[in-house]
Amino acid sequence: MSVTRVVHYVNQFFAGRGGEDAAGAGPDRVDGAVGPGRRLDQLLGDDFEVVATVHCGDDDASGRPEAIEEILALVQAEQPDLLVAGPAFTSGRYGLACARLAAAATAAGVAVVAAMHPDNPGVDEAKGAPVVASGAAAREMGPSLDRLAAAAKIVASGRALTADDGRVGRPRRVVSTADKPAAVRAVDLALARLRGDGNATEIPLPNFDQVTPAPPVDDLSSITLALVTEGGLVPEGNPDRLESARATRWMRYPIDGADALVSGDYQSVHGGFSTVYANADPHRIVPLDIVRELADAGTIGGVHDTYLVTTGNGTSVGNARRFGVEWAADLRRSGARAAILTAT
Amino acid sequence: MPEPAAGLSRAIHRVRHVAFGERTGYDGSTLTVDRDAAMARLASPALERIDLSWASPGEPVRIVKILDAVEPRTKGPGGGGIFPGFVGPARPQGRGITHVLQGVAVVAAGFLPRAQEAVVEMSGPVAELSPLGATHNLVVTFAKAPASSWEEVDLALRRGLLALAASLAEAALEVDPDTVEELPAQVPLAAGDLPRVGAVVNLQTQGAFKDVFVHGRSFAGSWPTLLDPNELDDGAVVSGQFGHPALKNPTFLHQNNPVVAALRARHDVDLRFAGVVICPEPVDQDSKAATAAVTARLCALAGFDAAVITKEGGGNADADIALKMDELDDLGIVAVGLFAEMPGPDGTGPSIVVPPSRATAMISTGNYDEPLVLPAVERALGGDSVHLVDLPATDELTLPTAVIYCSLSPLGWSSLRCEDAA
Amino acid sequence: MERAGITTALLCNLVSIAKRVGAPRIVPTRGIPFPTGDPSLPPAEEQAWRRRLVERALQALTTAVPAPTVFELDEMTNGRNV
Repeated sequence: MSVTRVVHYVNQFFAGRGGEDAAGAGPDRVDGAVGPGRRLDQLLGDDFEVVATVHCGDDDASGRPEAIEEILALVQAEQPDLLVAGPAFTSGRYGLACARLAAAATAAGVAVVAAMHPDNPGVDEAKGAPVVASGAAAREMGPSLDRLAAAAKIVASGRALTADDGRVGRPRRVVSTADKPAAVRAVDLALARLRGDGNATEIPLPNFDQVTPAPPVDDLSSITLALVTEGGLVPEGNPDRLESARATRWMRYPIDGADALVSGDYQSVHGGFSTVYANADPHRIVPLDIVRELADAGTIGGVHDTYLVTTGNGTSVGNARRFGVEWAADLRRSGARAAILTAT
Repeated sequence: MPEPAAGLSRAIHRVRHVAFGERTGYDGSTLTVDRDAAMARLASPALERIDLSWASPGEPVRIVKILDAVEPRTKGPGGGGIFPGFVGPARPQGRGITHVLQGVAVVAAGFLPRAQEAVVEMSGPVAELSPLGATHNLVVTFAKAPASSWEEVDLALRRGLLALAASLAEAALEVDPDTVEELPAQVPLAAGDLPRVGAVVNLQTQGAFKDVFVHGRSFAGSWPTLLDPNELDDGAVVSGQFGHPALKNPTFLHQNNPVVAALRARHDVDLRFAGVVICPEPVDQDSKAATAAVTARLCALAGFDAAVITKEGGGNADADIALKMDELDDLGIVAVGLFAEMPGPDGTGPSIVVPPSRATAMISTGNYDEPLVLPAVERALGGDSVHLVDLPATDELTLPTAVIYCSLSPLGWSSLRCEDAA
Repeated sequence: MERAGITTALLCNLVSIAKRVGAPRIVPTRGIPFPTGDPSLPPAEEQAWRRRLVERALQALTTAVPAPTVFELDEMTNGRNV
């Protein structure tokens, strides 16, 4: 039996390229296993070989649209039998990169398994590609790699990874046609509950992940504050055609040098509420006037030179979560440390 | 015609064919509409132009930019009190006889501000996803008079649609109905062993073009109230809400509320229909919470053992269901909520924006973002293009379920649902 | 955003949603269509209200929180939205 060729994907930190200072680095490769890949190689045994490690900075991989494609090209150049991504623990940008790479690899016909904590927002981006649970932080690297190696062997053998193997992520929701309308099924469900079936439901209750709050800002006068909103505020005429509902995109618009947003120069395209108030005074959505005053007075260090905007109306939680991760990457790249998010 | 019972008798007249003709009439099978007389019902200074077209099941026709839809009904000449507050005086109805032209809808289609583009197919695979895919639709299209405001246009359309619907049904007043359905006047609290199950109907109340009317008045700012279910049949609740096409409750579905129908069908079989509570969907958190608490108390007072809760609108309105489910749960009343899921086109994202935190009985009405392919059609009514995809309205279109009128019906009309992939 | 270390204050009206999705620092506002405003006020008073909201948000940013925390403004309800 020939040796199974494995490519391992890790972020800049686990590739030994640096921490946040190197988060903007682009995709690259090295021969063989690196960092956690060495232990993974051992765990996989003699029938497997980590032939190369592909790595990329977290901000680049999660924030630049072409990054995943480029990473996948580096992976495919190795002609691997299996791609292993992570473990990404609870790191949002790393998890997102691993999950998106897993989704892209699956679409390209490359066998793949990614590893991250069940609460990592990346879990939602794997689009059905196999993701196995890891611990929450790098101190749990040992058991996380044990589980990842076991899962890698299962995937390499062509078998499906199951929840018993540590697979995470909610099952895909698929549309079907029921034999009765929803109204009739609702009455059936009410009667089932009244009969004592306390668990009957058609929608297993979603488990919103726990957000670990970021540390507080020590000194406001030293930070750059960003203004971000899901209120759909765009320049008059909506030049980029931001959606009024079910947004799939977000935009950034310059506010450097501006003390205020001029009425009439902006409009809200949000389809979920009356936009009369926002159109009359854009500060009702993006409070630049006050924030600029506070910056000029030295209360805060500065104002980020663009505001970020999307439309939070019928937007899928998956997309909204992606915007959050992308916004964070965008803000970090430009040095903003804190944000005021206005929501409608 | 049988003697009217103490409740409401629905005289059902099935319409199998439709036509335009010299005089409006109904012969027990074909509804003929006098176009000029119908136009006169719709005429308003706010409307510069009105056009009428038929769109019938099986035709290669698409209706776009659909606003409201109304089932023709009347209680007598001049309406006899139908659509209280609009056609009849603002008084409770739901007694006597109501004549129903079943299989027909009067439908307005065209631009209004804040209206989100709604599509109905009269043929092809998507036709069955909307109640209007199976009805003969008298489609009203219009142009705004330059001097009028859009609010005036909205009001003129609503009044015109209801007046036209009532007048069409008058053609059936002297015709023997296909069937007569008897709806009891009220359900006494007197017990028996059957559980008492009621409906909680949330009505969207978000201002102009996103409003719902009860007895002719906007329901915004109201407290929840008990409503005689038979009043729904006589048009006590009228829609002026044009957002979220798939999650919209047109007047047609308030007249034919699917949860009420399901409860009536099983009354005295395996449950007792305990009544209807209607509630506004306020736009701020405090009012949502207060409304939920008041609703739960009303349900308890009305002796509900269980409630089926419906909404209108998107994720914001999920909160109106979720909060009520939790409040009812706290009072020991079983609460079932109907939710459209939003896991994205591939079904991999989280489903529900605002789930309840304690109650868990949820019914799925499908996926908001499921892509659907609509084959090209010969004729489109209501507009020349579909703005969302920027294509001619007659083209083959790939659209999400979200834009198919009532396809994820929050009132439970549809049979679509989501399940976990195997 | 919080996960990636961007400390964030969320100004919104639907506080129950914000708490449920785990937003750590929440400042309640007066209505959905105008998070940082209140059109019922004269312009100068509205601006003062916006300043208080922003200052409260800055205060939230400098506060360590273990879990979703609501930073109310004292006269938040003030007879409205109740």
